[in-house]
Amino acid sequence: MAGLSSQLLAINFDELAEKIFPSNVVDNGWLVINDSVISGFIVVAVLLIVALILRLTIIRHWKTTPTGGQMFLETIVTFFDKSADDMTEEYSGLMGPYTLGAAAYICCGVLIELFGLRPAIADVGACVALALCTFIFIHTLGFMKNKHRRLKHYLNPINIITDLAVPVSMTFRLFGSILSGMVIMDLIYIIVEGIWYTVLPVFLPAIVTPLFTLFHAFIQSYVFASLSLTFVSEAIEPVPKREKRKRKKKESPAEA
Amino acid sequence: MELLVTMFVNFLATDMGAAIGAGLAALTGLGAGIGMGIATGKAVEATARQPEAVGKIRTMLLLGLAFAETTAIYGLLISILLIFM
Repeated sequence: MAGLSSQLLAINFDELAEKIFPSNVVDNGWLVINDSVISGFIVVAVLLIVALILRLTIIRHWKTTPTGGQMFLETIVTFFDKSADDMTEEYSGLMGPYTLGAAAYICCGVLIELFGLRPAIADVGACVALALCTFIFIHTLGFMKNKHRRLKHYLNPINIITDLAVPVSMTFRLFGSILSGMVIMDLIYIIVEGIWYTVLPVFLPAIVTPLFTLFHAFIQSYVFASLSLTFVSEAIEPVPKREKRKRKKKESPAEA
Repeated sequence: MELLVTMFVNFLATDMGAAIGAGLAALTGLGAGIGMGIATGKAVEATARQPEAVGKIRTMLLLGLAFAETTAIYGLLISILLIFM
């Protein structure tokens, strides 16, 4: 027992800081690259190749009696298209593909951790980019729908802060949850190295990985997609015109 | 009194102060936990009352949980930054 506790105390957590905020980035003078950027490019390449393969194999042989692959594709695409249809009626053609793309990037960017690489989303840059895309969509679609009437929304100056807080909160929600999952998994890997002589290391990562990697990947991609849909649907809500208010005011004393 | 303040400031400037700050930042989990518990409980009640609406309730519950989780994640992020930066 004494041996066990001394072995437990001998676990070296010094590597953790290096894993969370890596200092050995590729520095090319004007270009500084993180490990996350490399895995991000890998994810993008894999997604593009998979999309090309699906386009050439399954979509070319589209049938009325679907096969397994076709069912899978149809389920995913209709899920995102339907939720975009419910939330943003006339812009669903734009928001459906965007949310599907963002969700696929987030999901695969986290799942790449299973191959031992640093997740692509565990870098603030990737999260800021995704959140800014949503921010641009919100305001472009809002001004396209309501034109100048949307400016009325800014008569209350608190709304400016509310709008500016949206990309910040989306960024840190994504970054924080993915980073925390990665930290916990790294902690577990370090502990496993320390207690290799027990049977536990065989089972511990297998039990904990689904919780902190798979679960986070799917939940966060779903949350990002539905949050961006919610904000866009909020922005394209028709602004009430003045005439209606006047009528209501006139009617109300008559009723009273 | 001035000595006490200087001692306190000197203490906060050490790594120990950062560790205490990280511990305090982890208290954000308290509010998030209470909020998420209330949300889940209400969702269970709603499902028991109207089992047909499970799909809609689940969507709204997940959105609400994501919002409630945000504060806890901010706290966690701050404590990680305090410890490792």
